[in-house]
Amino acid sequence: MSSVAIAEHGDAESREFTAQPLGRIGVWWFLASEIMVFGGLIGSYILSRVAAGGWAAERAHVNTRIAIINTIVLVTSSFTIVKAHAAAEADNRGQARRFMLLTVILGCMFLCFKGYEYSIEIEHGFTPATSLFWSFYYTMTGLHGLHVLIGIIINLSLFLLAGGAAWPRIKHRVEYAGLYWHFVDVVWIFLFPLLYLA
Amino acid sequence: MSSATKPSVGYLTIWVWLIVLLGVGVALLAAPVSKTLAVTLIFTVASVKAFLVLRHYMHVRHQPLMIYVIIGVPVLLAIALTLVLIPDIAFR
Repeated sequence: MSSVAIAEHGDAESREFTAQPLGRIGVWWFLASEIMVFGGLIGSYILSRVAAGGWAAERAHVNTRIAIINTIVLVTSSFTIVKAHAAAEADNRGQARRFMLLTVILGCMFLCFKGYEYSIEIEHGFTPATSLFWSFYYTMTGLHGLHVLIGIIINLSLFLLAGGAAWPRIKHRVEYAGLYWHFVDVVWIFLFPLLYLA
Repeated sequence: MSSATKPSVGYLTIWVWLIVLLGVGVALLAAPVSKTLAVTLIFTVASVKAFLVLRHYMHVRHQPLMIYVIIGVPVLLAIALTLVLIPDIAFR
């Protein structure tokens, strides 16, 4: 790794043998473990659905309209976080912070819409105890929502830290936060058709 | 952004494509095709969307082989786990 790269990422996070910042590799490893978590859950859902014959009646009660709005919100937040990453790489602190804040706001919007959707479903009597479909539905969307919440906390922390003297030391972490956030988006890209369309 | 990760396609263009593909996926629900074909197409569209995010937003194409291995192995394991169990469920 060049001296410039080491200066950018810090000695503690860079090693010659990988030619990659260890922080980046660490995030990818973490995402790999997350793939197994969501992969196992999605696989179990598919198998249970095949065994149950489709769950067409249960699926008819999910709110596709709110899910479409939420998909647009999450996809847009992926755009804002990659713009934050680009701005951080260009050392444009102001723009990076603006896009990070936008990502936080969009993440909060996603959770608000999801909460509203839950309230409608519970009001109609569809709780995790109603049937296996609803149990899967709440588990998968709940776990995903938890990941969105963690992403919001990470992005908000970075936004606040980026306003101080720590910026040169932490600016590359915008990329790591972005990788995590995009992964959360990719998970939703598959949850949306699984639970609302197919 | 470093020259290695400079986007060849604009981020906004990719966002537009993701929204268009979302529309296509939703429109397939009402398409006059069989349920099996509609579901296949819906998941094909979802896979294309995931590919766009991975390639252009997560910059996977600029990552070394090691990252492909780290991510590829659990993806293959998750798919294999589901596929090997489907016959047991479907033909019980």
